[in-house]
Amino acid sequence: MKRPANLIYALEERPPWLVVALNGMQHAGLIAINLVYPVLVFRLAGVPASMLASLLCAGFLVLAIATMLQCKRLGPLGSGYMCPATITATYFSPSLLAVKTGGLSLLFGMTLFAGVFEAVLARGLQRMRAILPTEISGVVIFLVGLSGGIAGMRAMLGAGAAPVSAAEWWAAGITLGSMIALNVWGRGLLRMMCAFIGLVAGYVAAVLLGLFGAEQWQSVAQTPWLALPEFSHVSWSFDAGLALPFAIASVAAAMKTVGTLAVCQRINDADWVRPDLASATRGVLADGAGTAIAGLMGAVGINTSTPSVGLSSATGVTSRVVAYAVAALFAVLALMPKLAMLLAEMPRAVLVAALLFVLCFVLINGLQVMSSRLLDARRTLVLGSAILGAVAVEALPGLGANAGAGLAPLLGSSLVFGTVLALALNLVFRIGIGQKALLTLDRGAADAQKVEDFFAARGAVWGARSEVIRRAAFGVHQLVEAVIENCWREGSLAIEARFDEFNLDVELSYRGELLEFPLARPNERDIREDEHALRHLAGFMLRQNADRVHSESKDGRCSVLFHFDH
Amino acid sequence: MELATMQEGAVVSVTVKGRLDSVGADLLKARVSQLIEAGTARLVIDFAQVAYISSAGFRVLLIAAKLAEHANGALALCGIGGEVKRLFDLAALTEMFTVLPDRAQAVEALANHRR
Repeated sequence: MKRPANLIYALEERPPWLVVALNGMQHAGLIAINLVYPVLVFRLAGVPASMLASLLCAGFLVLAIATMLQCKRLGPLGSGYMCPATITATYFSPSLLAVKTGGLSLLFGMTLFAGVFEAVLARGLQRMRAILPTEISGVVIFLVGLSGGIAGMRAMLGAGAAPVSAAEWWAAGITLGSMIALNVWGRGLLRMMCAFIGLVAGYVAAVLLGLFGAEQWQSVAQTPWLALPEFSHVSWSFDAGLALPFAIASVAAAMKTVGTLAVCQRINDADWVRPDLASATRGVLADGAGTAIAGLMGAVGINTSTPSVGLSSATGVTSRVVAYAVAALFAVLALMPKLAMLLAEMPRAVLVAALLFVLCFVLINGLQVMSSRLLDARRTLVLGSAILGAVAVEALPGLGANAGAGLAPLLGSSLVFGTVLALALNLVFRIGIGQKALLTLDRGAADAQKVEDFFAARGAVWGARSEVIRRAAFGVHQLVEAVIENCWREGSLAIEARFDEFNLDVELSYRGELLEFPLARPNERDIREDEHALRHLAGFMLRQNADRVHSESKDGRCSVLFHFDH
Repeated sequence: MELATMQEGAVVSVTVKGRLDSVGADLLKARVSQLIEAGTARLVIDFAQVAYISSAGFRVLLIAAKLAEHANGALALCGIGGEVKRLFDLAALTEMFTVLPDRAQAVEALANHRR
């Protein structure tokens, strides 16, 4: 793992306590935005206001435990990255269905089921890597940004939303403006605390502009300062008819976790090339365990916080210690219902502005993960269809409403629909993809363009990294150029390329003499004056170009194998 | 591969476009020899539009540098980035040449070159 230069405090580093505390607060503040989901679900279930604070506190306790499970690495659980837990929109639609069908007990029972399902899914993640490629993790991250951004816009400007007052525009502008200004032009602590300072500025503006009104103050005032979370209302039931929607949401949550952790890995490692599935498996297992605990303790499903990881990327603080601070703050909030209620009553102008700020980073991280692979027509169709499908669900809300009960959970969330569509199309488009390709060159027609076209086409079909494909194409071109005059005696030259997610092997065979692959470069004078030294330079470059080179000659047939780690 | 030359004061810059492989290397060698024979010994080779350079390309650069030096001139390279930079590093030959970020700086450096 190579430390990226833009990080201020990397994963294993320990920032000063003030930085840890303030960062913890801004992550907790950001995650608190998602309190909107359980508030809506519990209100639909007819939960009285007095019980709402208790349910939210139980939720904060779950988030504290889930954050520790994800970041601490306990046994087989946890990715070890600064990736706090959050309440998620992924389970929103099935949760609404559950409370409508069977009240809180069905909601908690099905949430427990979803958590167990995700944990089981985690165990098979390594074996399923071919059907869960990197670019799909990227599209899931992108869809998190897209769906979150649209939800934010809709809350402010949607058809059903209350008209935006001038005071709200001011509060939103102050929140977003201060976050952007501090992030773009701020230095040190100011840049690191941009989201927290923006949230505080937004709250202050909202109070001064009268957006935090009597109703909100009363709701906060009626809630006690200190109280232990209450679990007497928790019971569980199961409905087989809801198993499918919760299982689908669970798959989407697992994919989102893989994607979010891929972003964590990428922002912590300048040499990142692909998601580390061992770490992702531990992460998905922790995420599933977190959701199962949520079901057991009477909360809604949780997931890794992609906006929080986006904030880490924006501030350059990815230290794991910050995650411990976030967990500690969640634990404090679990014991302080008044603060939990204050966050739950966040004015929409502040909430939407903060959401839009962090989702910019989430969107671009998703695009970067997607574009780290060569994209052929198949992959373009998978990603494009998933994005268009998700946009259609957002733009045409009637799709979900008019679908049957079986399809409603699928079409009720753009993130779930886009993810399922991408996974399904990826499976379909795997038909006919060979992992082996052959090219034959004749001495008179061994042109570089043919080699480049061959590798570009295969690389795109395989979804290989462009950098590895460039190296392979160079290796073949340089070898052909080096052997064509003096080594390659007769017949054609055969090239066989074999690919899997971790390896690209290119084997070339021809009749003639073997090229040497020296460890040292010939000197400049010899390169200028001696043909032999020129071939040695080619061999030296080819040895440096591949991760491994193996060559042998048998009965006049030479074989050279270039191995590239992928 | 395509070559374009431009006289800039006492310096001639040669812009290479495409792949500098064995075929391109022969063309570049002929052009450089022609320029030096015509009395131009301060040469800039611009790599901004080069996609690829092979061992044969490196050889012709070493020959060009020696020819320019014998003619009391100098050779500078510019526009080396991306894949071409990787190949220069791969061949461990970057330090054998005067390398400047862009053509303007390379031309200026050679214009001030003392014989």
